[in-house]
Amino acid sequence: MSSFGRLATFLLQNGFLVVLAAVFAFFAIFTNTFLASGNLIDMLHAMSPLMTISAGLALVVMAGKLDISVGSVAFVAASVGTLLMTRLGCPPLLALAAALSAGALLGALNGFIVVVLGVNPLITTLGTMIAFRGVGLQLTNAQVERLPEGVRELGNWSVGPFFGDTLIALAIVLAVDLLHRRTIFGRQLTAIGNGEDVARRIGMPVDRLVFVAFVLSGALAAVGGVLDTLQIGAISAYLGKGLEFNAVAVIVVGGVSLFGGRGRILSSVVLGALMFELIRNGLNHLGANPYAYRLVSGAVIFAAMYADALKSRVRRAAVGAPAPGEA
Amino acid sequence: MTEAAYLSMQGLSKAYPGVVALRAANLEVRRGEAVALMGANGAGKSTLMNVLGGVTAPDAGSITIDGSPVRLRTARDALAHGIAFVHQELAMLPSMTVAENVFADGFPTRFGIVDGATMRRDAAELLVRLGCNLPTDLAVETLGPGDRQMVEIARALRRAPRIVIFDEPTSSLTNNEKRRLFEIVQGLKRDGVAIIYITHFVDEIFEICDRVTVMRSGSTVATRAIAETSPTEIVRLMLGEADSGERLADEASSAGPLLLEVSGLCGGILRDIDFSLRAGEIVGLWGLLGSGRTELMRALIGLDPIDAGALRWRAADELRPVTPNELHQIAGIVTEDRRGEGLLLPLSTRANLSLASLRSLLTPLGLIDRNKEEGLAADLIGRLHIMVSGSAQAVGTLSGGNQQKVVVGRWLATEPRLFLLDEPTRGLDVGAKSEILKLTAALARAGAAVLVISSEPEELMRICDRYLVMSRGRLTAQMPGSATRAELLSAVSATPLRMSAA
Repeated sequence: MSSFGRLATFLLQNGFLVVLAAVFAFFAIFTNTFLASGNLIDMLHAMSPLMTISAGLALVVMAGKLDISVGSVAFVAASVGTLLMTRLGCPPLLALAAALSAGALLGALNGFIVVVLGVNPLITTLGTMIAFRGVGLQLTNAQVERLPEGVRELGNWSVGPFFGDTLIALAIVLAVDLLHRRTIFGRQLTAIGNGEDVARRIGMPVDRLVFVAFVLSGALAAVGGVLDTLQIGAISAYLGKGLEFNAVAVIVVGGVSLFGGRGRILSSVVLGALMFELIRNGLNHLGANPYAYRLVSGAVIFAAMYADALKSRVRRAAVGAPAPGEA
Repeated sequence: MTEAAYLSMQGLSKAYPGVVALRAANLEVRRGEAVALMGANGAGKSTLMNVLGGVTAPDAGSITIDGSPVRLRTARDALAHGIAFVHQELAMLPSMTVAENVFADGFPTRFGIVDGATMRRDAAELLVRLGCNLPTDLAVETLGPGDRQMVEIARALRRAPRIVIFDEPTSSLTNNEKRRLFEIVQGLKRDGVAIIYITHFVDEIFEICDRVTVMRSGSTVATRAIAETSPTEIVRLMLGEADSGERLADEASSAGPLLLEVSGLCGGILRDIDFSLRAGEIVGLWGLLGSGRTELMRALIGLDPIDAGALRWRAADELRPVTPNELHQIAGIVTEDRRGEGLLLPLSTRANLSLASLRSLLTPLGLIDRNKEEGLAADLIGRLHIMVSGSAQAVGTLSGGNQQKVVVGRWLATEPRLFLLDEPTRGLDVGAKSEILKLTAALARAGAAVLVISSEPEELMRICDRYLVMSRGRLTAQMPGSATRAELLSAVSATPLRMSAA
């Protein structure tokens, strides 16, 4: 292979890392404040809720399904937890448990509609995305609800130089990655994403697995909602809005296939979230127009998808070629 | 034979609404024996095997394994009774590794974590026993079809099954891979495994099977020891002794000008296909399933890629090179898959008939002229004798024969000069079959060239002017329209012992 061919292959296989490094270098060079250690820690802090939600969503996507209700689930779960504390005086731990249960329950509802009623996952979660947000708005009357004193301080909890939520989010992503790669559940989800019919024929309990994936996605969306609320110190009607699409973008840009069955969750979620946070944060430091963020992230998503399409074209061509040992 | 059968299936019946899939079918297999299960498409082989695999519940009949009756309700039951299935469409998970695919029906774990090391080691061991040395952490999508087949076999053999079903295992294999597979089958026989071997290739069963059971229309019509039968007898048993019915079209006395010329066509399993079609001629493409007859038709219209060869089509009084995609635009295509070829079942008969010729129905403003559309539909409904309550009747509510006429009618409206018909009468009743065949003859009389595939020789004999005989991806003979049924049968069962130079 020519050195140009090798370079092209390398870029194709690692294009995302190259772009990530380039973006990082760009902001490091062109701003004075970007590289400060405080800023890097802030970025890891800011991306924690998104990482958590993306990790849950990645499980659903791995099975070839989609859950775009995660932003609304995060909102409802955070609202339930907050209101239990402010209106009913619940102890924080109980409120946390209630928030997570609410997330799992909403996830179970998604799973039920997809698996039992047989509705397309995109349509299902598009519906529940709208409906769940309505539930949350009704619960909160669309008002800002501040967290009680004593709980709000948790948002600044830190361990060593890192914020606590960074560590929680990383631990969750690691656990989900382990679940995906090293447990029977994870392997079977990947198998379903490879081909639902094939998985059924092999004898896998496809319906049960997909249902569980939706429950986990809901529960982790709730965790993300809680982390987000702690960062802000209050819930507002906008909590989690648009987060579902950010989460989809994160895992897809990171290399998980939306068709399912492909990709590594740990690197996708961490690096994907980092990419968008780098752009958002860096543009801030550059003093760019705040709306430029959307344009740039749109371009990044497009570039990542195009690279993915190229990759799968190469893969198809390779499969069509004669097998080794023939001819 | 003295030894009792290890697996015995007796009197199995299964009916679906409107179709009887199995009629008291029987099958016996002894230990260390390979029994070939043969039959034309729709003969009931798949249903019978699905019953054995626990996928289909029979209406009646019994299964005994090693003398004791068993009930197979689920795929897991079948697995538990030592039945393993090597699927025809490989049940592969492309992005996952060889080891993961081998163990997909039960991953080994330690403390809840998948034990990758054990999995890789055991998979490697299994594959070595099968005589193949695949790296076990390679993604299956990077493998060729032969290696994938080995992975599938490794999965089936992992639990040391006592009964193994091979469903058309060689259809995508090269010669070397086929040799390897045959050795595996021989090895299994030595180990005392009972084997059911499904194939469409008559020559294979003489090589590795001990007995053959032939199915036709849901029944098991005969069982023979391989040593006491011949390929011709098997083909005759598969196709039955149906009467041929009278001829519907005279043989074209003088065919028109050359319309299509195919030379040196290769691609997929097709090798060096040369033939030509003339205007006004009906040519039967005759061969058993798997001979490449459907693949040839698909290659002609660009549905399968072509590696080499040239197509030439008559345009403006001379033959000019043409691409398969262009041919797809030119040709009228009718297959057994009425839905797949684009009948829109919920839509009206009228809308379906006009679909291919909407351009000719436009008003100056670019809207579809409803009167013209109705006129077109009424004309075709009359010409083809389509039985409808009116042109607004939804196509999904028509009988199969009438649906097929709508397909033909749609093409008629565009007046193509080339028709490719792949099993156009599959699933139709006798009357509807005759009508479709008459229609085919009329197409040719009007000057079109027709290439037609059918599994039933008596059907081809009613209309064809000429036959092209296919076997293993090659055209092996040409026969005149006057060929007898016996000649046609022996043409496909006389297997040329050609070791294709793959």
